[in-house]
Amino acid sequence: MIEIKNLSFSYLNAEGKQKSEEPQLNRVNLTIAPGEFVLVCGPTGSGKSTFLKTLNGLAPNFTGGVITGELLIDGVNLLGAEPYEFSHLVGYVNQQPEGAFVADLVLDEIVYSAEQLAIGKEQITKDVQRLSKLLGLEELLNSPLSTLSGGQQQRVAIAAALISGAKVLLLDEPTSALDLQGATEVLNLLQKLAREEGVSVLLAEHRISRVVGSVDSVIVVHGDGSVTKGNPADQFNDARFAPPIIELGQQLGWKPLAMTAKQAQALWKKAPAAFVEKHFNEPGPRVLEVTDLEVTFGSLSAVKKTSLSLFGNQITALMGENGSGKTSLCWAIQGSGTRTSGTVETATGDPKNMSVQDRLEVTTMVPQRAADLLFLNSLADELHESDTFAKVPAGTTANLFQKLAGRIDTSIHPRDLSAGQQLSLVLSLQLVKNAPVLILDEPTRGLDYAAKRALAKQLDQVRNAERTVLIATHDIEFVAMVADRVLVLKDGSIAKDASPLDVLGSGQELASQIADVTNEAGLITIGQVLH
Amino acid sequence: MNKLISRISVGIAGLISILIFTWPLFIKAGEQNETLLAQTVFIVLMPLVLILVLIEFATGDISSKHLALLGVLIALNAVIRLLGAGTAGIETAFFLIILGAFVFGSGFGFILGACSILVSALLTGGIGPWLPFQMMGAALVGLGAGLIPRSNRLWLQKVFLIGYAVFASFIYGGLMTMWNWPYLAGTGTQLSYVAGDPITENLSRFIQYELFTGGLVWDLGRAITTSVLILLTGTALIATLKRAATRAGVGREL
Amino acid sequence: MSALTSNTSHLFSTTRTHPGAWWLAGLALALSASLSSNLMVLMAISVGAMLTVWLCRDDAPWSRSIRFYFFLGGIVVLLRVIFRVVFNLADASQDVFLNLPSFSIDLGLGNSLHLLGAVSVLSIQAALVDGFRLAAIILSIGMANSLANPRKLLRATPGALYEIATAVSIAINLAPQLITSLKLVRRARGLRGHSKGIKSLTGIVIPVLEDTIEQSMQLAASMSARGFGRKGNRTSLQLRLTRASTFLTLTLLTVGVAMLLFSSAQQFVDLVIIFAGLILAGVTFKLSSTRTTRTKYIVQRWHIADLVLVLLASLVLLAAFSGVFSK
Repeated sequence: MIEIKNLSFSYLNAEGKQKSEEPQLNRVNLTIAPGEFVLVCGPTGSGKSTFLKTLNGLAPNFTGGVITGELLIDGVNLLGAEPYEFSHLVGYVNQQPEGAFVADLVLDEIVYSAEQLAIGKEQITKDVQRLSKLLGLEELLNSPLSTLSGGQQQRVAIAAALISGAKVLLLDEPTSALDLQGATEVLNLLQKLAREEGVSVLLAEHRISRVVGSVDSVIVVHGDGSVTKGNPADQFNDARFAPPIIELGQQLGWKPLAMTAKQAQALWKKAPAAFVEKHFNEPGPRVLEVTDLEVTFGSLSAVKKTSLSLFGNQITALMGENGSGKTSLCWAIQGSGTRTSGTVETATGDPKNMSVQDRLEVTTMVPQRAADLLFLNSLADELHESDTFAKVPAGTTANLFQKLAGRIDTSIHPRDLSAGQQLSLVLSLQLVKNAPVLILDEPTRGLDYAAKRALAKQLDQVRNAERTVLIATHDIEFVAMVADRVLVLKDGSIAKDASPLDVLGSGQELASQIADVTNEAGLITIGQVLH
Repeated sequence: MNKLISRISVGIAGLISILIFTWPLFIKAGEQNETLLAQTVFIVLMPLVLILVLIEFATGDISSKHLALLGVLIALNAVIRLLGAGTAGIETAFFLIILGAFVFGSGFGFILGACSILVSALLTGGIGPWLPFQMMGAALVGLGAGLIPRSNRLWLQKVFLIGYAVFASFIYGGLMTMWNWPYLAGTGTQLSYVAGDPITENLSRFIQYELFTGGLVWDLGRAITTSVLILLTGTALIATLKRAATRAGVGREL
Repeated sequence: MSALTSNTSHLFSTTRTHPGAWWLAGLALALSASLSSNLMVLMAISVGAMLTVWLCRDDAPWSRSIRFYFFLGGIVVLLRVIFRVVFNLADASQDVFLNLPSFSIDLGLGNSLHLLGAVSVLSIQAALVDGFRLAAIILSIGMANSLANPRKLLRATPGALYEIATAVSIAINLAPQLITSLKLVRRARGLRGHSKGIKSLTGIVIPVLEDTIEQSMQLAASMSARGFGRKGNRTSLQLRLTRASTFLTLTLLTVGVAMLLFSSAQQFVDLVIIFAGLILAGVTFKLSSTRTTRTKYIVQRWHIADLVLVLLASLVLLAAFSGVFSK
């Protein structure tokens, strides 16, 4: 179905020259058969998204850059053609479907592509019936897109991508915004599409463990320009970005690697490895005390009467499902969010009663969309502005940033940094204010395992006796890596306040992958396993 | 060749729309009916001319990226206008039209000006016979902003932009007052136009009308808001828009 | 009318009725008003338009805009009367009912103005009729604007304006997201600390703009990947024809308007030229509509109720044309 010969792709810098010596994709050769279900993975920033986009002309037409080689789809060389020249052959589904919707009703959205391609009305009616049945959208055709759940929206996007008669489907991280159930549903549908309809499905995903069990083959975009395709078990032998289950296999030298929890459980049982006890930091002095805090929006009660204390030298994770009140609680503690009743005590008073400037000396926060805090035109300007604002010697923020993110050319535009680098930048801007309370709201969104490990290391560096760190997240593996203490929110109340071993240990609802595989008490992260 | 005809067409459209705005100054003496007829004809012609120019600009190879960028700026304009509405003399729509047109060119500016007014009218109410005239006025502001000369010296660039902002604010205000003049003052008052009178006399009456209705104050307010907003956000916004243009690979071809 | 709408509450509504029907009805009422010089008729049209909105509206945001039109209509009537009183030309020959002290002002523009002075019944009556005529037109248009769903209207846009309509609907879809984004960024600004002056404004506008541009590029990519921009069977000849025809139309219209304004030749000639321009404009429109090939899968149909609505409004217009309203 797809035949790629000697395909190379490079980004260009502002002067129109190649950005780095190494092209993003270098002499790629591979083929994809009809009905093949393929996982595309690789470390963050390796270019897996770019690779996907070269297959329907979005790269270079929407990304800039130069492409060479041959790209045969259904026997036709389409290299360099505009995306609309691919639209009858290749369907494309974006990471956030709601950002790519062109209509406001489901039916309008589904037929858009067919309308553009001037497909006859009768044919469209037939295709709509077939696809909506296949994807379970029959009841939803006349609903507004905004009323659908994330999983339903993703299914509409898939129908809309296939209405043109495309036999190839590209999906860029389609499950990253979905909960486990929604993700499983979408994956099952994709498998069905590949098996029954003969559609070649290429899926870029960094949550590998969710997907790897259902695919036929894996393409790894390594980041050095090379791209390889092979069996799932062979492709991860030395991958640094792999999930804990696969990393466990790598470390213990399992051959072939275990791809699913079941396989790994069996292998571990056969030859369990020794592991060390997890080290947690002793709590320092109390930094902040929350008493009877309540947050209500109209009739909705987001946080119910809650009391808790945060201690220095400790990283506390705040877990819970979407809508359990994590974000509301974070903003209420920070001081600028809605608070209906209750108090927050710190050494210098309640942050709610402070001016914006004074508050920053007590509580700092990295919000969900960290990039919202960036507004200047270069990294250097941002770092300088931060020094001036915090009244610290010039270069302080830059040093901190370098410690967290490594050496980076400061003339770069902040928006051109990777998601992980942006996070490090905002973290440095906030840390330099030297407030005793640091709050992070969902910091691991869009980060792969390697980037998460880097962030965990950074947070470990910044903790000290006077500083407490609160992280709101639902990322279990990250909490296992970094937290000293876990709070679990349920419907606005704290349901659990315990050690990570108790919350993430084997048999628990929120068990980590390692705990689940090894079934050993006291073992929750890969870092504990001896090899 | 195609491009040349296209430019001439746009020029003619500009000319005819100025005529349609300023007809009370020029109209020859005739029967009352004839004046009414002219007025009615113009109500039909203005939207027509507007649509023709919009099609002219959209007929070229306008890409989905241009449309998306237009959508962003139109939406931002409508929202900012919503926030600024109700405060006398504060007109927040112009600075984005001018900056957008400056970065993406005259054709883009024309569409941006016209559609910004249209969308804020669609969202807040405000569709009426005056709408095509407001749209054309704002579209002409955008068209002109695409022609602002470029300079590498930052201060000079700001002078050009702000000079144009002040000029455009007063011209736009003048055109809109000129449009409502025959409607609100009617005929037969000392401030009304008199068909067949010399231009200078009608112009003098018009200026008195502007003074008495406070139109000039509004224009001044518009000029100040626009200049201040350009001064405050201009450099950063232009940089952001230019970056978006480079990333999307769209230039000033429109 | 009220009986018709009250017992069939869903016969006419913003969701069911074709937006074109509301606009045709509104325009017909507006035209009727412009043909009438009878104060009672004009007031009846105004009240009728308001009543229709009140009976048929739902809680869509544009339904609330009728208030704006109501105030605008009121202001127009008031302004007309004030102008007559303040700047009236001295004509105290008849029916003077109010004698205000008179002022003279010289603005140095050649003539001095006489303010206030005698006010006659006739002049006030004329001002009221003119004012109410404009108010009735405004309210008729306001009725259409309040009841027609703009999204549905955009869907009915002809092919020639497809690109413009696309930009507009992108904007309408983005506007609520922008407001959310503004709120989030403003809250986030507090976390960075407020910088002085310039930066506090750019600190909000720039992140919002960056976010929205990023989103819109995703949207553009999605449109392109789904076939937007296909040239179909458009030829360069067709493009050239459209351009030439636009040029010709605009030239004809300019000549016509210039003649209408400046020349003392027969009125007949300039109107013929303008009419020719209008016909040519139709041709241009048709030409540029055929340049793309798209299927229109979902077409909003006209129902009987829509036709009834237009018919009712046309009856009013017919009465206006027959001169019933001008007595």
